Amino acid sequence: MSAATTKADKPRRRRTFSGRDKVTLGFFVGVPTFLHLALVWFPAIATIYLSFTYWTGIHISDIQWAGTANYENIIFETPRFWEAVRVNVVWLFWFGLIATPLGILLAYQIDREIRGHKFYQSAYYLPVVLSMAVIGIIWNFLLRPDGFVNGLMGLEISEAISFFGDDRYNLWVILIMASWRHIGYIMLLYLAGLKAIDATLREAAAIDGATEWQTFRRIIFPAMQPVNIIVIVITIIESLRAFDMVYIIYGGRGGLPILGVLVFENIAGEGASMKGAAYAVILFLLSIVPILAYLQQQFKEDVR
Amino acid sequence: MLNKIAGHEVDRRLLLKGAAAGGLGIAGATMLAGCAPGSTGPISFGARTVDESPTIQLKGLVDAYIAKTGNEVTYNATESNAFQNNLSQYLQGTPDDCFQWMAGYRMQFFADQGLLVDLSDAWNEIGDQYNESYKIAATAADGKQYFVPQSWYPWGLHFRKSMMAEIGMDADSVYNWDDFLAALGEMKAKGLIGLASADKGGWEAMGMFDILNARINGYQFHVDLLAGREKWTDDRVKEVFRHWEQLLPFMNTNVLDLEWDGAMQLLLQKQAGFFFNGSWFGANFLEQSQEDYDDLWIIPFPEINPDNARDTIDAPIDGFCVAKNGANNAGGADLAKFAGDIEGVQAMLDTGIPMTSANNGQDRSSYDAFQLQQVAVMDEAKYITQFLDRDTRPDFAGPIIGPAFQSWFKDPSSTDSILESLQSQWDALPAL
Repeated sequence: MSAATTKADKPRRRRTFSGRDKVTLGFFVGVPTFLHLALVWFPAIATIYLSFTYWTGIHISDIQWAGTANYENIIFETPRFWEAVRVNVVWLFWFGLIATPLGILLAYQIDREIRGHKFYQSAYYLPVVLSMAVIGIIWNFLLRPDGFVNGLMGLEISEAISFFGDDRYNLWVILIMASWRHIGYIMLLYLAGLKAIDATLREAAAIDGATEWQTFRRIIFPAMQPVNIIVIVITIIESLRAFDMVYIIYGGRGGLPILGVLVFENIAGEGASMKGAAYAVILFLLSIVPILAYLQQQFKEDVR
Repeated sequence: MLNKIAGHEVDRRLLLKGAAAGGLGIAGATMLAGCAPGSTGPISFGARTVDESPTIQLKGLVDAYIAKTGNEVTYNATESNAFQNNLSQYLQGTPDDCFQWMAGYRMQFFADQGLLVDLSDAWNEIGDQYNESYKIAATAADGKQYFVPQSWYPWGLHFRKSMMAEIGMDADSVYNWDDFLAALGEMKAKGLIGLASADKGGWEAMGMFDILNARINGYQFHVDLLAGREKWTDDRVKEVFRHWEQLLPFMNTNVLDLEWDGAMQLLLQKQAGFFFNGSWFGANFLEQSQEDYDDLWIIPFPEINPDNARDTIDAPIDGFCVAKNGANNAGGADLAKFAGDIEGVQAMLDTGIPMTSANNGQDRSSYDAFQLQQVAVMDEAKYITQFLDRDTRPDFAGPIIGPAFQSWFKDPSSTDSILESLQSQWDALPAL
C-alpha cells in the first residue's frame, strides 16, 4: 500500500515530443484510427441507420424512412425470427453447458499430462485449424443423403436418414459439428491459462490434503478468472454469430433458421430489404453485452 | 464464388490490356469495329452455372462469337445460387458485360433500377425470329427490351418409359387428379416412391404450388395472388394445400434434405415413378447416357378442376442481359444479340446439348422425341407463367415463401397458421 502511494506521489516527468515524433505518432495512431472508423464504425452506423429505412440496396436516392417498421415486422410478423432466436439460445446453452465444460475438462486432463496427452492435444486441436465453412463441407459430405454415413448403412437416397432436414435431429447434428471445433478451441485457450498457473499452488493444496476436485474447484478455477471470462465471452459470441457452417449446408435459403442466416437471407441477392439490416442490429445488440464484458476484462488486465 | 473472383482478376487485366492496345493503335480498333459494328475491346461473359452440360453449350456460343467477330471474350462462371445471391452487388460493382439471367419480374426489377442496358436495337434486328410472347417477356415497365431469350423448359411430370413398362403402368394416360392418385397408389403398393420431391433449396416446391394453384383456382387467381391482389388466407389457397397434402404419402420422406438434383437421382435410379420438375434436367440424364435420356418422358400435370383443364404451365425463359456497369456495353449488347440470333442459337445447338430454343428459326425437325413432347406439353397450355420466384417480389419469394413451404412440409397440419403468417408478412412489405 505504502509503496503504491509513493509511486503515485512522485511527480511524473513530462515527455516532450520532437516534431518528427509527432508525425510518426500521428501516422501510427491516425492511419489505424482512420481505417477503423472507415471499415468498422461507418458500416456499423450506416447499418443501424438503414435498419430504420426501406431500401432495395441499389440507389441511395431510393432510401425511405421507415421508422421502426422493419423491427415491428420482424418481431410481430415473422415467426422465423423467433425460431431463429430459439435455435441460437439452444446453441448458447449447448455450448455453455456441454461443449465449453468438455473443453475445460480436456484441457485439465491434458495439463495433468495423462498418458497420451500429446496425442489428445493434437487430435482435439486439429479441427480448430479448419474454418467453420470447411467443417460444414466435410460434415455435409459425411451426412447428406448420398453421403458417407448413409452409404455405410446401405441406405438408398430415398430411405436416407434426414440428418439436415428432419427437425428431430438437424439442430443436434449441427451442434455436434460446431462443438467438434469449439471443444478444441476452448481446450487450447484453457490449456494456455493452466500452463501459466504456479505449480506450487497445486503442491500446497495437495499437502493440505485437498482432493482433485477440490483443487480444481477452489484453487485452479478461481486462479483462472481472466481466462474464464474470455472463455465465457467467446462461447457467447460463437453461439450468436454462428453462420458459415449453416450457410454451407443449407445454401443460405431456408433450412435451419439462425440469426446470422436471417441477416444474409434478407440482405443478399435480389430480395434485398433492410429487414436484413434490422436483423443485423438485433444480433449486434445481443452480442454487445458479452463484448463489453470482454473489453472491460481486457482493460482491467492492462491496468494491472 | 472463387471462380467469380478469379474471373474478375482476369477481366481487369484484360481491361488494362485493352486500354493499352487502344492507346497504341487506332488502326486495330477500326479493324475490330469493322468486324463487329459498335463493339470494341474485350468483352466478358458471365455464366450462372458451373454444371457440365450448360458450360459446354455456353462455351460453344462464346467460341462461335469469337470466331465470327474476332473479339476477345473472357468466360467467367459462377455457381448459380451464389450468382443469384450476389446479383445486386454484382450489377453495382464491376459486372461482366453480358450475363445469363431470367425473364419476368426478376429481369424487370433490375431494368427498373437502371442496371441493365436497353437492348431494343438488338430486338429491332432479331425480333422477327421470336414470337410476340418472348418479346413481352423481355420487356420492362418502360416498354423497352432488356433481355434476349435463350431457351425455355416446361415444368411437368417426368417419368421413365422403361420403368412404367416394367411395372405395367400406362403413365401417358394419367389425365386427371384421380388418375394421378391411382397411379401413385399403385406405385406405393409396389414399394416405389410415387413422386420424387425436394425442397432443401427452398425453391423446388414452388413449382408444385404454382401448378396446383393454377389447376385448382385458375391462371388469373394465381397471377393475382402473386401480385398481392388476392389473399393467401383465401379458402382457395387452403384448397391447394389440401391437395398437396394428399400427395405427401407418396413422396420420399426426406424432402427437406434433398435438392432438386437429389430428387432427380431418385428418378434416374428408378426408385421413384414421377418427378415434377423443369425439363432442363434432361441434360443431366444425357450426361449419364444416351439411353437414360431417350428413356425420359414428360406429361402435363394432371387436371384437377375441369374448368381449368390443363391450361397453365410454368415455362421459365432463360436468356441474357447486358450490365450497365460493365466495361463494354456495346460489346455486351453485340454478344447478346449474337446469342439471340439464329447463328448463335445454332452454335449452341451444335454442341449437342439438348435445348428447346426460344428462337423460331430452330429447326424443329432436329428435335428429339423428348423435346417434341416438351413442345406438345407446352402447346396444350393457354397461359404461361415463369415460376413463383420469377413472378413475384424477390423480397417475398426467397426469404418468406421459401421457408414457409419448408415449414409446411414439417407440419402440414399447420397450413392455416402458415398462410396467415404469409399474408401478414406480405402486408408488412414496403410499397415498391
